[in-house]
Amino acid sequence: MDARFTDMLRPFLKHPGAEPLDLAPDTDLRRLGVDSMQAIELLFTIEDTFGISLPDEDLNDTTFATAGSLWQAIAAQLPGEVTA
Amino acid sequence: MPDSPPVPASPPTPDQGTPPAPPAARYAALDALPATATGAEVWAALGRAGLLTRAYRDGAVTAGTDPDGLADLLTAVDARFSIPATLSASVQLATALPVLAAGRTPLARQALDEVLSGRATVTLAATDATTGTDLAALRTEVRIADDGLTLTGTKRWIANTTTAAWHLVLARHRPGRHFTHFTWVLVPADAPGVTVRAADSALFAPSGTGHLTLDDVRLDRDHLVGRTGFGLPLFARHIATERLAGAQWGVALCRRVLADTHRHLTRRPHGDGTLWDLDPVRQRFAACLVRVRELHALAADCADAVALRHDATAAAALKAAAGSTVNHVLAACGQLWGAEGFTTGGIQEIRAQAALFDIGGGAGEVVLGAVADTAEAALDGLVRPGTLP
Repeated sequence: MDARFTDMLRPFLKHPGAEPLDLAPDTDLRRLGVDSMQAIELLFTIEDTFGISLPDEDLNDTTFATAGSLWQAIAAQLPGEVTA
Repeated sequence: MPDSPPVPASPPTPDQGTPPAPPAARYAALDALPATATGAEVWAALGRAGLLTRAYRDGAVTAGTDPDGLADLLTAVDARFSIPATLSASVQLATALPVLAAGRTPLARQALDEVLSGRATVTLAATDATTGTDLAALRTEVRIADDGLTLTGTKRWIANTTTAAWHLVLARHRPGRHFTHFTWVLVPADAPGVTVRAADSALFAPSGTGHLTLDDVRLDRDHLVGRTGFGLPLFARHIATERLAGAQWGVALCRRVLADTHRHLTRRPHGDGTLWDLDPVRQRFAACLVRVRELHALAADCADAVALRHDATAAAALKAAAGSTVNHVLAACGQLWGAEGFTTGGIQEIRAQAALFDIGGGAGEVVLGAVADTAEAALDGLVRPGTLP
């Protein structure tokens, strides 16, 4: 996950602690407050930030489940990005 | 009866050739209609006169909403016609047309052209048999196959249903509540399997409000509008504009009701003077003026955030304020009119119709919940930089 992605994602997450949230691929987005409305805003922000359109087949709950699954879907649309 | 529309000052522009027509003359096409015109009749007149495109930047729906143009149109319609007729226009201008414009197929373009020219109306059929406050639970279903679409479901309490040539239907293409499970479908009103029934509502009959049933409706794939799975994101983006429109319309409605009420109070004899001479009456009226000015200021403050940046929180605040202000002002005016307020078409009838402002397009409680979700950011936004310890 690159820094541009994690910087974009952080404002959407509800994190009670004073320390910055350590984002990992298995970070559960729903547990951090990404409900439907938040996820819609996140989707628009992703497409604006990276200049991409997520393919229709990636518009599902699995893609938006964790930080890692979301980054994988984004990275697959970025030229030259390695998603492993 | 609505009073005369306001005529804002329009300074001449001698260095730019011929001055523009007086603003009220722009809406002469509407003056040819009776005050009892239906929403569909008003829409046709607006379209024929080329006025509908004024709601959009550069006159193009795809370019986004022009807040001033939208407010002008809603104010002009509200000043002349009933709340149901204005509702019919507001839903189409603010939400249905922008959603329809997301369609890239020739069919969607054809429908957009027909509606923008006033030759047809279109519904925004989102709410179905489940409650409107829980769209993710909606049951209307679209099966998407290589050779076409099949739609089944029921939409309830949809404005323009009985008059529309086209229905924009929000349907689920996948089970479950995830926001990516919904898609818009453009349904011709005359497609086999489509039936409409007027809602049992004398209050909203002029808006064509009704229920839409889709019974195994089969369509080609070019009836999909926007991307598959983008139904709720498109809805969220454009319902924000409807909330701005609601606030702008709320200001116009309250202003004209207050103007009518003021005229009534200054002419109604009481003792040696009129009702307007009574301090409790003046204070109650003044409190309404303050509320409307608050709503007017909030609408102006949030207009660009909603129209240009689709700010959902600003839109929620506008919706909450509009519902509360309209309810307050119309209840107070109803009291000030006394028994005469119960005249057919009088303030009490308007008040009953205007209850819509706190119910339709997002109930007050729902939008306040959205505001609460962003409480910290809202408080931060009120801080004057460099002033806190």
